Amino acid sequence: MQIVKFECKKALTSPIILFLLLLFTAYNILIVSNSSDFNKELHVANDVANSYGVEITDETLLKMEKDLQEELTHLNNITEEKAGQSFSSAGEFFSQLTYERQEKYSEDQLDSFYTIYLKEMYLDTAKHIDESYQKIDIKELGENNIQNYGLSGAASESLSKQYEKFGNRFDEMKRNMEHKRWFFAGKVYSMHSQLFKQLFLPIIFESIILIVLSTALITNYEFENKAHLVTYATKRGRRLMVDKLVASLAVSTILSVVLLAVALIVYFKVFDYTHLWHSSISSAFNWETNFPYVSWWEMSFLQYLVGAIALFYICMLLFSCSTFAIAVLLKNSYFTFFGFIAIFTILFMLQGFMPKSSNLIFVTGFNLTSLVLNPHQWFMASNGLLVFKYYEVITVLVAVVVITILFVFVMKRFNKQDIV
Amino acid sequence: MRIVLQELKKILNWKIGLLLVLANAILYFLLISYHIEHFPNGRPALDSYRIGIEMVEKYGVSMSEGEKADFKETYEQRLKDADEYIQSRVDFSSVGIHSYQDFQDINYENQEQAELRNKVVFEENVDLFWELQERERLIEFQNENDIIMANEMERGSSQQVATLEEIKATGNYYIYPELVFYNYKDFIVNVAIAIIVSVVLLLSPVFIRDRSLRLVDLQYTTRVGRNIFKRKMIAGLLAMFMVITALLAIYFSIYSLNNTGMFFSSPINSFIGGFHWYDITFFQYIVLTVLAIYFLGFVFALLAMIFSNLMPNFVALVGIQIPFIIAMIGPGISYLIYQITALDLSQWLVPSGYVLIIVIGSMFMLFVWRRERTLDIVH
Repeated sequence: MQIVKFECKKALTSPIILFLLLLFTAYNILIVSNSSDFNKELHVANDVANSYGVEITDETLLKMEKDLQEELTHLNNITEEKAGQSFSSAGEFFSQLTYERQEKYSEDQLDSFYTIYLKEMYLDTAKHIDESYQKIDIKELGENNIQNYGLSGAASESLSKQYEKFGNRFDEMKRNMEHKRWFFAGKVYSMHSQLFKQLFLPIIFESIILIVLSTALITNYEFENKAHLVTYATKRGRRLMVDKLVASLAVSTILSVVLLAVALIVYFKVFDYTHLWHSSISSAFNWETNFPYVSWWEMSFLQYLVGAIALFYICMLLFSCSTFAIAVLLKNSYFTFFGFIAIFTILFMLQGFMPKSSNLIFVTGFNLTSLVLNPHQWFMASNGLLVFKYYEVITVLVAVVVITILFVFVMKRFNKQDIV
Repeated sequence: MRIVLQELKKILNWKIGLLLVLANAILYFLLISYHIEHFPNGRPALDSYRIGIEMVEKYGVSMSEGEKADFKETYEQRLKDADEYIQSRVDFSSVGIHSYQDFQDINYENQEQAELRNKVVFEENVDLFWELQERERLIEFQNENDIIMANEMERGSSQQVATLEEIKATGNYYIYPELVFYNYKDFIVNVAIAIIVSVVLLLSPVFIRDRSLRLVDLQYTTRVGRNIFKRKMIAGLLAMFMVITALLAIYFSIYSLNNTGMFFSSPINSFIGGFHWYDITFFQYIVLTVLAIYFLGFVFALLAMIFSNLMPNFVALVGIQIPFIIAMIGPGISYLIYQITALDLSQWLVPSGYVLIIVIGSMFMLFVWRRERTLDIVH
């Protein structure tokens, strides 16, 4: 235990690791604050979920419509008084609002009108959920994707089969009414990609950099400081590598958890999710581009977030393990770092080199790099080429198997290696 | 001199060589190959490229009024060809299209017509239609380039307006298709990234390697003494120069596959899509960006060697350079290479950017050398 503690200390007291941790954290906070210009509008979704319940039903919609009508009367009372006009909706009010007319109203009044307008928008979207989901044809989507990616032969067959499964899931989701939950309007605010792409992706990169550096530092420390002849000649001997592995994992945990925790705390301080934790991730409002996010399992936002954090953490540990294996093999942290980056990038490009007619194009997608670079698509069925229900699980398992084999190989080699 | 040569050999060892080959292969496939393999990228890019070549061959690097009229004449000619082609095909007349004008005015709600259009344009890829579409775009720019210029002048500072006046006097702006020029810009930015990464990989070990082997203790007690620091630095800069030259040679021989030589003597202001501070030809622009890459390489070489001397271990050495490299690849290179001549930026911005990083790098190096001269290396 003592040894592990001292091994951890090597990385955690290294000025460069701490400097980078601070720099990256500052950058993450900058990302959050840069995208916070609309956080004043986000309370509307929370308010709606609070007063009508997070589930959208016909009754609550009717109730909401009635309430909005009342608020509109209130709006009209004010506008009648100030400008002698009345409107059938707040949207109409804003479409006619010019700069001169705006001056008649106080800031507070305009704000409250805008809130009504936003509620109208939410109500309108909610009313048309069934209609817009009826238009979605998963089979056609699959065919379009086959065409877009230029797939043929076995690959196109496999993808159609997967899209069939996706279609079933899509129907099940509609039956479960998972899409009928309030959430931030995706087309306006893109909160899902805001969190799981704009914020998670940089954190993943930063975390990988820190983990690779600190794991390489710990593993190669004795060789680079010319202490190997002493340490590996002690009673603990080459079993010291086990301590180093444990220390690497502990340090990786600390670094990735600190990095992610600080960013997420700041994020949820800035963006208010109070009443939406139990909304569904497949909500119709979570629809940013031409297709809504649909997860393979019924998941609330909170469950999805926890799942994403867990997957993030598992991947980081696996990256630490693979760096350890490379470091034991190369015994030089300079080459270890760039070796890791090289393998990481090659795995990223692998899919692109595969023939578009063979199933290899999917098989090669099951690697840690491809997994980790699409955090906003984790657990999602709407995931382009990789429409596989257990994609995340299989990828992690594959990585575990590969890394274990690599471990056995490098440790066997290291145990008998001439280190002089 | 002999020491410099030996140091050079130490820097250019086979392990680093292998690492450079691997890094450049990866970066080539990741960043650069797209701009080579997919040039011109589909339609109407291919037509843009073809028409561009035709324009340069027929009219030279600028177009007089007569030549512009001739270009429009050619368009009319091709339009007649298109009419004839349409009239020669039964499937067109059967859906009520009798001329190219009809073809352009297709009502997309008319299922038959829309389908036929998709079939002819996207499936049969009839050259004529793509070509006409591109010619129309070019003629539109030719007709409207004075409006674009007027708008630009309205927004510009006095200095920008003065340069714009000069460009306006030549009349040679927003005329030629921009495909080749922008393809080169995308290509060279990515080459610059590959080269910066290569320089860092090459030179980071220079000082730290000897230090970790405790070789410095020996070296500093010889007759050359601490001056060996300078020789190592010179060897590093020589290695940087050699590697950049070799990489540029490789990347430019790959670039030659794009076959863009006929545009080399065109002024960069003659291309559609933006104005430039300097009245230089495309070839001079290429030379300018190559020089810029050497300067960037020099700065990153200095940086790598400075940190190589200061940092306690390889991990710190790599870690400290990551923010610099990210800053350069992110926003830095877009200003220093991509927009190197752009009129949108102040004229002094890019040159002073270079001066600044070179001066800071050199001063820092000087500081490191002065520190090294009196450093206690025993403790």
